[in-house]
Amino acid sequence: MRVQFVLQEIWIGLRRNLTMSISLVITVAIAMALFGTGLLINKQVSNSTNYWYDKIEVSIFMCTKTSSNTSCNKADATQEQKNTIKSDLEKLPQVSAVEYESKDAAFARFKDQFSSTPGMVQSTKAGDIPDSFRVRLKNPEEYKSVSSAMLGRPGVDQVVNEQEILKKFFRILNGLQWAALLIAGIQVIAAVLIVGNTIRLSAFNRRRETGIMRLVGSSNMYIQLPFILEGAIAGLVGGILAAFLLVLSKIFLIDRLQGSLQFASQLSWSSVVGIIIFSVCVGVLLCALASFLTLRRYLKI
Amino acid sequence: MIHFDNVTKVYPSQNRPALQHVNVAVEKGEFVFLVGPSGSGKSTFLRLVLKEERPSQGHVHVAGKDLSRLNNWKVPHLRRRIGCVFQDFRLLPNKNVFENVAFALEVIGKPRRFIGKVVPEVIDLVGLEGKAHRMPDELSGGEQQRVAIARAFVNRPMILLADEPTGNIDPATSIGIMKVLDRINRTGTTVVMATHDAAIVDAFRKRVVELEDGRVVRDQSRGVYGQAY
Repeated sequence: MRVQFVLQEIWIGLRRNLTMSISLVITVAIAMALFGTGLLINKQVSNSTNYWYDKIEVSIFMCTKTSSNTSCNKADATQEQKNTIKSDLEKLPQVSAVEYESKDAAFARFKDQFSSTPGMVQSTKAGDIPDSFRVRLKNPEEYKSVSSAMLGRPGVDQVVNEQEILKKFFRILNGLQWAALLIAGIQVIAAVLIVGNTIRLSAFNRRRETGIMRLVGSSNMYIQLPFILEGAIAGLVGGILAAFLLVLSKIFLIDRLQGSLQFASQLSWSSVVGIIIFSVCVGVLLCALASFLTLRRYLKI
Repeated sequence: MIHFDNVTKVYPSQNRPALQHVNVAVEKGEFVFLVGPSGSGKSTFLRLVLKEERPSQGHVHVAGKDLSRLNNWKVPHLRRRIGCVFQDFRLLPNKNVFENVAFALEVIGKPRRFIGKVVPEVIDLVGLEGKAHRMPDELSGGEQQRVAIARAFVNRPMILLADEPTGNIDPATSIGIMKVLDRINRTGTTVVMATHDAAIVDAFRKRVVELEDGRVVRDQSRGVYGQAY
């Protein structure tokens, strides 16, 4: 009896202000999807950061005829210079491994990386891509001492620390994440206000019923529960829509970013599901709480 | 059953008190007419009994309980023991007679079987046999008020409060309504009826409490509406 009565009241409430319920569901869906996307990016960034910190390398590019560095004198680095650099690198205590990448190998890798833009590959000749030493450090934080030891030595064009490149990249991702969370925050505020309005309308529409319920001694819970559940159900439907949007953003945003930016680690579906469950719960609780607070103002007991 | 102990009620937006130093005792099983012009404090009296308002001074006791000491969460239980009838009936237009009466039991969580047994009895008691499936707009004013009385009485309250129940009804039909209230009173239910229907008060010869400007100016058993009439 009780359950059936409450369900019936919820259905009446949702149906009576259908347009308001729909706008509520959409707002909640967008807010929760953005919130979840923010969390997804956050997760991806922290996964990738850990991964990259393990593999961080310092690249020491050798002089070529085309390099603009004046100390190269428009000439390729000699084999003698390369040997000196290699042996000196191996002697440095911060270095754990040194690997030489020849011009041919570098060109092959370049062709592979930019295979999607054939124009760029065609305008580049073998030999344009400099050969380099790839140095793995024991502690990625110590790259400065290595770069200062190598810069300006004969045959060395430039020293590039990949950490710096990654930092720029992570900064962009962080920006994306904060943008998503900021928009989500604004949407959440909108959602809370719309929940409040919907429930207020609903309470106004049913003021006859609630007035009689009050008079015949219905308990507060009995009077308020249909309204609170009405908000919670709208939150749940919005949350389920948000789950679809999140799956889409995982496939079309995160995985695509991964393809084009060569994210090292894939974001697993299990963490996506975890984030979806979390955002749906947040949505439902938020709507129920907003309904409850609205009722305290508009439904005198 | 209802004891007003030196009760004064001042509404925040008004200087003049709605009730002033009211002392009234209504015993179990009594039938009391509360009379007086509009604005004399009759409705305030009824609202205080329901704890819809709190007295500014003094104490209201209902069924032996001091309402000022009653927790807010216990107020619904107080109201389950008090039935209410109003001038404007307050029926739900989208529910039929049976559903309107049953609503009062549904919302306090009574089981379906109990509702199925009790509601037809009360519909018969108020004289609406065979009209259980009519909608409110298919009924006359008098019949609608009978539905409202059935709803107020279906949970067998100790007290029935009626705020001008015959206010919207023609005199001939009012007599029928009064007979229903009298029948309910005879089951042992205390009835307090606010009214300014002089003919009814004079015809029934019950206890009369007269209010004027928030004061009790007359409390008379077997009284009439006003001596001047």
